[in-house]
Amino acid sequence: MKKEILTQLNRTVLAVLLRALRVLYREDKRVRDEVDSWPDGLTLKLKCGPGGAVLALQKSGAHGIRRLRAAQHTDITMNFKSVQGAFRVLSGQVGISEAYARHLFSLEGDIYQTMSFVRCVEYAEAYLFPRVMTKRILREIPEKRLSTLHVYMLSAVEHV
Amino acid sequence: MTSYFEFANPTKLCSGTGAVNNLGYELEILGVHNPLILSDAVLEKIGTLSLVIKALEGRKIGRIFTDIPRDSSVETVNEAAAQYRAYGCDGIVAVGGGSVLDTAKGVRLLISQTCEDLLELMGCECLPAGKRVPFVAIPTTAGTGSEATAVAVIRNTEKNIKMEYISQQLMPDVAILDPRMTMTLPPRVTASTGMDTLCHAIEAYSCLQKNPLSDAYAAKAMELVRKNLLHATRFGHSREARLAMANASFLAGAAFSNSMVGVVHAIGHALGGVCHIAHGDAMNILLPAGMRFNRKVCQNEYAQLLLYLAGPEVYFKTPENRRADRAIAEVVHLRKKLNRLTGLPLTLKEVGADPAKFPEVAAAALNDGAVIVNPRQVTYEAVIRILEYCYEERENGHGRH
Repeated sequence: MKKEILTQLNRTVLAVLLRALRVLYREDKRVRDEVDSWPDGLTLKLKCGPGGAVLALQKSGAHGIRRLRAAQHTDITMNFKSVQGAFRVLSGQVGISEAYARHLFSLEGDIYQTMSFVRCVEYAEAYLFPRVMTKRILREIPEKRLSTLHVYMLSAVEHV
Repeated sequence: MTSYFEFANPTKLCSGTGAVNNLGYELEILGVHNPLILSDAVLEKIGTLSLVIKALEGRKIGRIFTDIPRDSSVETVNEAAAQYRAYGCDGIVAVGGGSVLDTAKGVRLLISQTCEDLLELMGCECLPAGKRVPFVAIPTTAGTGSEATAVAVIRNTEKNIKMEYISQQLMPDVAILDPRMTMTLPPRVTASTGMDTLCHAIEAYSCLQKNPLSDAYAAKAMELVRKNLLHATRFGHSREARLAMANASFLAGAAFSNSMVGVVHAIGHALGGVCHIAHGDAMNILLPAGMRFNRKVCQNEYAQLLLYLAGPEVYFKTPENRRADRAIAEVVHLRKKLNRLTGLPLTLKEVGADPAKFPEVAAAALNDGAVIVNPRQVTYEAVIRILEYCYEERENGHGRH
């Protein structure tokens, strides 16, 4: 698939992921506990390959997570080495742990804090992807505390 | 095993009796004329460092820095780098155990990246080559394998955690393994560091990032440990056993540098950060429990381990479906022998871990980078169960976690 198309797909999935994380912050205590453990103001960026889609976030006391529109520098940056590698992760073909094992991304910033973000993404994946996919990409599927449909519906009306 | 892997081990290895005598030559080849020597006060006092200094007779030494604690810290690294700059050094020679070697790696990062504070360089596989800083590692324990790894573990005293730095820029140019450097290690330290080596090899062989090359390094390391650890512990003066263990440590280091380690190291780092438990002791205490935790998903890998941990005769006599359990039993058996020989602690209670701190240890372990490649998902509850089990392990305990 062409790089431009993959970048557009990555951008769409990142937008869904952001909304899902905001919803889960409110609806799932496990995600809320993780995010609340981050220092207020912590910034985080996902870069999906050179020239690819970017998602920048900030821990914000009032909203849990808010989007940063033009972050120049963030405390933590997960930098996928290629657009294709990022797509494999964002489309649920490869889990985060396997992506790490395959050296699909590098990391700038505190590994310690990044692990908490990784757990949040894995919780989100458990809700967003069907079980047939999560069985393959997650080492253990976390219990869902609300339905996938519910998460998608709340995400659709989530204001970011 | 992943469908894509990377393997890096650019370090030149000089291994054998008298290898330290070649240090001057190696520095010449690297273009180092004013090295910073990093070591610790104990090695200076017992004369191990003097073997290295003697090998540099007639050559200029920029500075000898020995103020390195047992667990190196960000402050120590920043201070050593300041000395490197102040004395106009042009290369690093690290003589010591894991703490000294990891300090040297931190100094190299700061100098090569032209940076003042190590906290600014945190990350994984993200640093460019930077300024060239030649680096020779001379380990004085056979355990950490730091001379062969792209990993440094450095204590953040503010947060009470051990931070991991992962970068190819950390790998020494040359590693020198000379049995004379480990000859004075007391039996208990020999046993503890040897179990650290074994733990590196076992976790490297079973982690998600394992690959054919790391498997080969890990397998040979386990075989060398099986054949030499007890002998090196009993007969510390045996050059053959000391050299074999040094080689095992290097091999296991190269293995886990490319496949990473798992739950045992994650909890061990957290115990070191929170309860100040020596790394080798923590590995020895946690290893069987960590293996039992992962056994559910590592049946095949552990079954294969039996060949290296017990030898071909035991391996072929053991029914296929019992090999994984037998491999864990071999580790338990080795631990007991070392305990009888040296008093090596088998429980967290013996090393003074405070159970009230287990929640803090578990939280820190979950945030350790090693859990991401552990073959089984590591949860808070699982870490607490492992800690509680290891606090007061019953004799011959074979519990599952």
